[in-house]
Amino acid sequence: MTLHEISLVVNGTREFAQVAPNVTLLTLLREHLGVTGVKNGCATGECGACTVLMNGEPVNACLVLAVEVDGAEIITVEGLAPSSDHLDPLQQYFVEHSGTQCGFCTPGVLISARALLDRNPHPSREEILDSLRGNLCRCTGYLAIVRAIEATAAGGD
Amino acid sequence: MLELPSPGLPDFDYVRAVTPEEVTDLLLQHPDDARMFMGGTDIFVQMRDGVLAPKVLIDVKHLPGMVDIAFDPQNGLSLGAAVDMNSLARHPAVLEHYPILAEATHTVASYQIRTRATMGGNLCNASPAADTAPVALVLEAVFVAHGPDGERHIPATEFFLDVGKSALAPGEFLVRIDFPGPPAGWAGRYLKLGRNAQGDLAIVGVSAMGYPDDTAASGYRFRIALASVAPTPIRVPDTEDALAQGPITDQSLSAAAAAARDTARPIDDVRASARYRQEMVEVLTRRALDDVWTRLSKER
Amino acid sequence: MQSQPNVPDAPSPVGESVTRIDAMEKVTGEALFADDLPFGPGLLYGHIVRSPHPHALIKKVDFSKALEVPGVKAVVTGADTVDKIGLYLKDRYTLCRDRVRYVGDPVAGVVAVSEAVAEAACKLVEVDYEVLQPVIDPVQGAQPDAPLLHPDLGEYPVANFIFPKSGTNISNHFKVRKGDVESAWDQCDVIVERSFRVPILQHVPIEPHIAVAQVDRSESITLWTSSQSPFAQRNLIAESLNISQSQVRVIAPYVGGGFGSKAGVSMEALAVEMARKVPGHPIKLRLTREEEFFTSFVRQGLVAKTRVGAAKDGKLLAMKTEYYWDAGAYTEYGVNVTRASGYSSTGPYEIPNVHADSYCVYTNHPVGGPMRGFGMPEIHWGIEQIMDIVAEELQMDKVEFRLKNCVKDGSIIVTGSKMHPVGLSECISKAAEAIDWGKDEPASAPHKRRGKGLAIMWKAPAMPPNAGSSAWVRFNEDATVSVGIGGQEIGQGTFTVMAQMAAAVLGVPFESVRISGPLDTKYSPYEWQTVASRLTWSMGNAVVAAANDARRQVLELAAEHWDEDVDDLDIKDGQVISYKSEEALPLKNLVVYGLPKPDDQGWRGGPIIGHGKFMPTYVTGLDPETGQGPRSVVHYTTGCQAVDLEVDSQTGQITILRVAAAYDVGKAINPAQVRAQIEGGVVQGASTAIFEQLQLVVGVPRNASLVDYRIATSVDMPYEIIPIIVEVPQDDGPWGARGVGEHSMVPTAPAIANAVADALGIRILDLPITAEKVSLAVLEKEAQS
Repeated sequence: MTLHEISLVVNGTREFAQVAPNVTLLTLLREHLGVTGVKNGCATGECGACTVLMNGEPVNACLVLAVEVDGAEIITVEGLAPSSDHLDPLQQYFVEHSGTQCGFCTPGVLISARALLDRNPHPSREEILDSLRGNLCRCTGYLAIVRAIEATAAGGD
Repeated sequence: MLELPSPGLPDFDYVRAVTPEEVTDLLLQHPDDARMFMGGTDIFVQMRDGVLAPKVLIDVKHLPGMVDIAFDPQNGLSLGAAVDMNSLARHPAVLEHYPILAEATHTVASYQIRTRATMGGNLCNASPAADTAPVALVLEAVFVAHGPDGERHIPATEFFLDVGKSALAPGEFLVRIDFPGPPAGWAGRYLKLGRNAQGDLAIVGVSAMGYPDDTAASGYRFRIALASVAPTPIRVPDTEDALAQGPITDQSLSAAAAAARDTARPIDDVRASARYRQEMVEVLTRRALDDVWTRLSKER
Repeated sequence: MQSQPNVPDAPSPVGESVTRIDAMEKVTGEALFADDLPFGPGLLYGHIVRSPHPHALIKKVDFSKALEVPGVKAVVTGADTVDKIGLYLKDRYTLCRDRVRYVGDPVAGVVAVSEAVAEAACKLVEVDYEVLQPVIDPVQGAQPDAPLLHPDLGEYPVANFIFPKSGTNISNHFKVRKGDVESAWDQCDVIVERSFRVPILQHVPIEPHIAVAQVDRSESITLWTSSQSPFAQRNLIAESLNISQSQVRVIAPYVGGGFGSKAGVSMEALAVEMARKVPGHPIKLRLTREEEFFTSFVRQGLVAKTRVGAAKDGKLLAMKTEYYWDAGAYTEYGVNVTRASGYSSTGPYEIPNVHADSYCVYTNHPVGGPMRGFGMPEIHWGIEQIMDIVAEELQMDKVEFRLKNCVKDGSIIVTGSKMHPVGLSECISKAAEAIDWGKDEPASAPHKRRGKGLAIMWKAPAMPPNAGSSAWVRFNEDATVSVGIGGQEIGQGTFTVMAQMAAAVLGVPFESVRISGPLDTKYSPYEWQTVASRLTWSMGNAVVAAANDARRQVLELAAEHWDEDVDDLDIKDGQVISYKSEEALPLKNLVVYGLPKPDDQGWRGGPIIGHGKFMPTYVTGLDPETGQGPRSVVHYTTGCQAVDLEVDSQTGQITILRVAAAYDVGKAINPAQVRAQIEGGVVQGASTAIFEQLQLVVGVPRNASLVDYRIATSVDMPYEIIPIIVEVPQDDGPWGARGVGEHSMVPTAPAIANAVADALGIRILDLPITAEKVSLAVLEKEAQS
């Protein structure tokens, strides 16, 4: 099995890696690059815990090969905050509205929510719910998550 | 021992194809071991499950034209096989001229799956539950494959052969899907029943479209296609003919829905029973036809 | 039994919806879960060889070929295990020795340099099985001629409140014999009898189970794991290896959802067994999502046969119940579900004559264990539907019927004990009102039908009578506070609530309190388990005691320093103050360094550290023949859910418009977190009601993946959830608090079933209430008429 050299930007930092083709973006991030905010929940693209932004759009990292992300820009929950002393407003509102309980789905949810607000700054509740279809949460029942996203959208983002 | 899906993907070689000939050559060289992929959202899952075990995966997304979308009123819509579903669903030409395509892709899984999943992949997977398949059938799409003898045009109605089996010949892969301009005044709808309110695999899928046509006794023609109720997605020509004979009334729409239901040959599986599927074909067909007819009769 | 005054205005921040103490870490992705911990290049990986048969003898295991695979370090089998393991009943070996009892039962474990190598080597392990007839139904399994899964049941060590029947598949039989049901039927004007079925389902935590274990050459064991119960895991694993608890250390970082699946011991012991083969190396075992569905814990299935009788004035007179629990291959934990269900079998009603038999039956199915509700969702599924039917036959309003019969302060409950003050009636009235009970409201479309239904519930923490909590509280130099606890943050908010309680007692700002995590049995104080919705009440009492101890030490020091009376002193906003002399001293520094005596004559005080514990002392046993006893449980939390929904009469799909969920929590320490538990529980309850079932065909799971085991997604959420907090104080709870974490998912399924019955005139008696079931039931009803 041939190894492939890849170069990508993760949360604003250029990274280099040599990967076998069967390494997923999820494994690359968590186990090669130490970016553990992205979570492994199912490896089949069903739970959304591994959702990251790839060139600005949310994908399930478990269903992307590392070899495919050569030249790509990846953002995980760790890269959402614009600077170290300044959270993404979504993160702030999630804290205020208890949008997180066990926290395991939260990184993926935040990425999906960030992508939603980027393409639709004032989504209806229906649009919010629709955008979260691929992020399973077993703790919150989704309502607090929706409230946090609505508050972010109303707060001027 | 008990066989379960693996934690990770099996070993394979990855090739990022540069020319279509390269793909065809590889496919012919390794008839059982090479496979093309686009979004990977079906294939990687099947590889973890051990259902598929290709030794070479050929990434065709970067071939010229694979992610292009073009529309002109004469020729209709030309869709690269590797256009991802989100890009497809927000394209202005699709929204204006083929909204049923946006509707169908929107029912698939989740936004993050649709960033990667492609209509081409959905079709080539040839699952009877594929959401884009019944829509391709009612739009009478033509699938364009590249193979050892160059391009081959395969009408949608000839593409699906059996569960998981398409008409692609050895060495062929899908490059484009061409949709003729739909008839003037048409209205279409894709309805899907899953377990969750949205985003599940289709237990039953119904695509219906209708358009005014003076050559039809009823003044209208309809095209109806069903997903998940036969080994392949199917059109229901007898039902369509009956509606063309007309007249279009509450009774004839009911009869059409019942006829569609009788054409379906669903199976029992973990998702639903054959009986429920059969009943739901009638329910969904009736609702889809009602919706289409309401819009058509408004136009008149 | 201590008595606490009813404190209507609890000190801040008790009763306030302060921000979660762990929220920031979780939204930045910094919160660490077990799979995020770094272990360096020496980390090895495990994979398990699992039985493909539901029931078979193991004739031979040959792993010689597996050992030859490059990168394989060791293979472990049942032959390497020392002793049986189990919480209430020791009935299993971590790896099977001579018999497999469910599809997925571990037969061997391979340790290798990667998961891929371990998995490949597993395929080379050859096992010879002699297939046996499986038991796949609990009623069948309880019959005398059923194949025996545990012939040695009679010899298994067992807790003294569990009663296995040697020579059968019944690992616990709990009986209630109260009053005289046989005579009582004659007094009844209405008698209703029904059978209900609840399938096996799974917790589906978003974080699958994971454990990393390392055994040092000195033979001490360290286990890093996603765990609700580090102390119970330490204890059970130590017992199973015949070693001291002090030789086992369990470290438990944040848990990505437990719901009971990460309590007790399931797959964690496998990591330890593998680690014993490779001393000095950490070895990681992670379950795939597919394995998660059926090889850790599941919620047991139930066949319930119930008969209820009432007088024409609506008074319940008699109830007879038989529960056959489809408890799975090993019931070391599930035996207590059987018991708890037995002593709760009437539901929250006062019924003078009760006859109940609750049987825990071994089946060749996945292992039943604790899941949110611990038997209560399963039994209330039937109880709340049959009560609805009784009310219908009495032509009595269903809310009125429940208000008439529900438990109240002083009611004599099923075990003959007296009910404590309880706000259930208030919960019922408020929930019903919130969905406009009694008002017929139109459906939104011609093919839709609208219906309203409600269900009430009760649950007591199901645990041994001496389950204990302990805590310590200490200060840092700058007067920030560290609180040590052994109870786990699994998302329910316990770290936040404990910090609130400590801050309130100490008189310091909430922001200055930290919880010392991750839990580590080497350093954390003992906590029985994070289950049973017991932490707010039990661990809360321990934290309050520890904080009071620390507070007393501070006040005594200040009193000595100022030569004043301790009773005139207080701590407010981080300062010690005297009400008498109006002196004030910041806590900073004195809490570690003490205070100087005058004239440079020395020092007094020293590092302040408070400790506390709580263990209920008043729970009595129950008579094994009658299930009667003076105080069967510590307390009950009660509640009511009222559902307003629409059903598509053709497709059978349910849309929940409103759910009002009212719970008597005694005192809401953090109202926002109580509401969060209610919202989450309602949705999980609705998900189990409508979608969930682990489909097993002759013991083989058919839908063990998220593709075909569906759970509620965002678009399945009810349009509106109305949480209602009722507060009737618990006499021995901190500021009157009792737990609510589980209770919010208990009555949801029957409330939905009752609403569907109201909408369509159709009762679904077997969970789940799938669209298909509803649709086909409507068709059948139409065909009959």
